[in-house]
Amino acid sequence: MRTSRLFAAALLAVLAAGAPLAAHHSFAAEFDGNKPVTLKGTITKMEWTNPHAWLHVDVKGADGKVVAWMIEGGAPNALLRRGWNRESVAPGTAIVVQGFRARDGSNRASGGDVTLPDGKKLFIGSTGTGAPGDRPEPGGKK
Amino acid sequence: MTMRDRRVTLLALAAAIAASALAVLVAQQASPPTTASGAATNWTPTRTPDGQPDIQGTWTNYTSTPFEVPDKSDTPDVYAGDLDGSGRGTGPSSFLTDTSGRQLTKARSLVVDPPSGRVPIMPWAEERRNYKLAHIQDDWVNFTPWERCITRGVPGGIFPAGYGSGYQILQGPGYVAIVYEMIHEARIIPVDGRPHLGASFRLWNGDSRGRWEGNTLVVDITGYNDKGSVATNVATQRVRAIPQSEALHVVERFTRVDENTINYDVAIEDPKVFTAPWKVAMPLHREPDYQLFEYACHEGNRAVPNTLSAGRARDRETRSGGSR
Repeated sequence: MRTSRLFAAALLAVLAAGAPLAAHHSFAAEFDGNKPVTLKGTITKMEWTNPHAWLHVDVKGADGKVVAWMIEGGAPNALLRRGWNRESVAPGTAIVVQGFRARDGSNRASGGDVTLPDGKKLFIGSTGTGAPGDRPEPGGKK
Repeated sequence: MTMRDRRVTLLALAAAIAASALAVLVAQQASPPTTASGAATNWTPTRTPDGQPDIQGTWTNYTSTPFEVPDKSDTPDVYAGDLDGSGRGTGPSSFLTDTSGRQLTKARSLVVDPPSGRVPIMPWAEERRNYKLAHIQDDWVNFTPWERCITRGVPGGIFPAGYGSGYQILQGPGYVAIVYEMIHEARIIPVDGRPHLGASFRLWNGDSRGRWEGNTLVVDITGYNDKGSVATNVATQRVRAIPQSEALHVVERFTRVDENTINYDVAIEDPKVFTAPWKVAMPLHREPDYQLFEYACHEGNRAVPNTLSAGRARDRETRSGGSR
């Protein structure tokens, strides 16, 4: 019953002409869906700011040089309700983050899945941005 | 099959199933006071110390109902700001965001009048919206007030967005206050019979004046500026970023129909923008344990400079003959 209700809700969601919902701003205006990036690095800081949180990550390149990246996440209230907390993003934590690069070529990206040291994955992105891989919250759509 | 083809297929499938299953549900919203299930109610709210019907509490607006009834003429990529037509300005809808375990309203559309479920937008206003969304990288004035962290608008701020969905209503002698979780807005609505401010005042969210008609709080809003929009969130689809004029006139009605439900409906007229008045109806659900988080929108609003810098990078590439 629950499954069918969720299925009906999902259909309705699709019925809404694929309209993205939760993003504060347009994904495509700022990020390039044709430029996916996977970053392996160490968290230096999490900014729990509105309208979007920003995760700062130091990424060591093949040449050994460390480059600071900024990863855009969803709104703090959405991330908190999704399971993110202070411990998830402690400075020094080694993570792998998938995202899409900023159109202006700077070291910024729209974040998607973040893989934590224990292998657990958390989705940091804004739902409804239309970013490839964008999806509803865990615990919502099954 | 491309992403776009899949979406079209899914749309067709969803339309077929949903149209047959859900046509019944929409009429229930249009005739308050009723319960969420559509049954008539004789429920009487308690009173505040100064005698107002008590509508205080924390309310949420989660829903699975689309804003408008979809139409084949819709261009969701445009509404979502998909600049290069790659289909990546839109994506899977997130109507289920944050909704786990919650009661979701499922109806044909939030727009209940006209009966088509389609907002009667004048062509010039759609063209204006399309221009601004297509040129968002060119000038900050092309952003919606929400993207600029000014306001989600009135009534737009109460239209479902999928997150930041909490509303706290507080009442004091002569006033009703509504705290909007997103974007950290507070409306203070006098219900003491005072007149509107007058035409010399032009406000982003207009000038709200409330009165009680029985158990219904009626809020009359005029005095808007012509800079905002009645809807700013992508969930409002085709209506997002449609401009408002100084002639905008909004009448909201809040009716608490049982312990856990406020029927909210709003009539919108703007003869410079819409060819006829239109109306949205939806329930607000009482959720006492829901905690409103701060949404201090300006503190990290990098979207505006980053979007503009994306545009300048595009300009440099264009000048140098590069392709994107």
